[in-house]
Amino acid sequence: MMVRFLGIVLLGLLPAFGQNWTAPRTSDGHPSFEGIWTNKTITPMERPKDLGDKAFFTPEEAKAYTQAARERNNKDQRGGGVRDVLYAYNDFWWDSGTKLLSNMRTSIIVDPPDGRIPPLTAHRLAQLQEQAEAIKIRCKQPGCAIANSGQLSPSDKPEELDLMTRCISFGTVVPMMPSAYNNDYQIVQGPGMVAIDTEMVHDVRRIPTDGSPHLPPSVREWIGDPRGHWEGETLVVDSTNFKGETRVRGGDENLHLIERFTRTGPDTLLYQFTVDDPTAFTKPWSGEIPMTKTEGPVYEYACHEGNIGMKDIIAAAKADEKKAAEQAAGKK
Amino acid sequence: MIEMKRTVFAIACLGLLWSAAPGWAHHSFAAEFDENKPVKLHGVVTKMEWINPHSWIHMDVKGDDGKVVNWSIECGSPNTLFRRGLNKDSLPVGTEINVDGYLAKDGENKANGRDVTLGDGRKLFLGANPDADK
Repeated sequence: MMVRFLGIVLLGLLPAFGQNWTAPRTSDGHPSFEGIWTNKTITPMERPKDLGDKAFFTPEEAKAYTQAARERNNKDQRGGGVRDVLYAYNDFWWDSGTKLLSNMRTSIIVDPPDGRIPPLTAHRLAQLQEQAEAIKIRCKQPGCAIANSGQLSPSDKPEELDLMTRCISFGTVVPMMPSAYNNDYQIVQGPGMVAIDTEMVHDVRRIPTDGSPHLPPSVREWIGDPRGHWEGETLVVDSTNFKGETRVRGGDENLHLIERFTRTGPDTLLYQFTVDDPTAFTKPWSGEIPMTKTEGPVYEYACHEGNIGMKDIIAAAKADEKKAAEQAAGKK
Repeated sequence: MIEMKRTVFAIACLGLLWSAAPGWAHHSFAAEFDENKPVKLHGVVTKMEWINPHSWIHMDVKGDDGKVVNWSIECGSPNTLFRRGLNKDSLPVGTEINVDGYLAKDGENKANGRDVTLGDGRKLFLGANPDADK
């Protein structure tokens, strides 16, 4: 009975097991994930509410969803007003994928079972509301503009701009989530270390697998401090020590991210993650993406090298402030 | 995309303002360009900059007074275009284009190129190729 139980557990843990396929090995005997992988997909992060408890598409539904997504992403963008300015470009400029994930799930989130990110805790909501109020007060003064979030945001100092505009992070690395483009990852392995080069925007995740402990709590990193270990065919990566500004889906610095990488075939790398952030979310949430092998190269992004837009954003805010000052002086 | 944007907007109301969400644009075009100042430009390409995080088309525009002014038009990210086989030679100098966009807030000759067409009216850079998704 115990043996049978263990067998079931092992089967659950090792998707490659029983599929008559073994992952190639690195020189130190661990499964090799080396190569370039992509997670681009039209599968939504969260299950659309109208799909209710439907976790998987039927082939017909998948076809209809795919067609609708392609038409939606390719159409000429004409939202009107500020939306035209914010979202001027259609899918020609982006590379967000045209296919559903091979698992045919209706969302990347697999737990909770409704396929949706659980609500934030009351404590976290209050914290965020407090920050929003401060921004609201700040933005009664000139030098604010509508950000991609649709909310007013300060834009007259570089340090007030969001992490994306500052080229620090596009929020696609922890967890590794698909975005509008640059959804490629190159994995390189060496003894005691796995490195993941993420095309969006430049981060290289260096994951020690030598049993070393996490950094002391006083050291915080934009993408956390990852530590890996092998469980058979699977690389398990445990990340802590995040900075508060990383804010995974509204989360805070107490984020504990657990990720699992497993080769499930010659061209598939199953990526599973769990976000455990008890001060920010009412319960943990998990997702999975069967990543697929893709042709390279992973392009350099050089996010700040050509970042004329950031200069223009600040110049626009300064022009706004100057105009307001002139108007105020005229009234006197 | 529209549905996606709606989702983005809905989530924004719930607190994505505070989070680094996977984005559809690198930065807020609305912070840079004025939605109340639409601009239509007709002219010829003088330079195409395929730079990340956004590409720029530079063009000469002749005003009603006959004076030629150089404008800069901000476009989407070029990484995708490289991957599709386009390069810096894909929009040669001298190409006649029309730009339908929004003026920069700082008063410089810059615009957000929301709609770019060739001189004969053909759309430039419109529509992705589903087969490109390998």
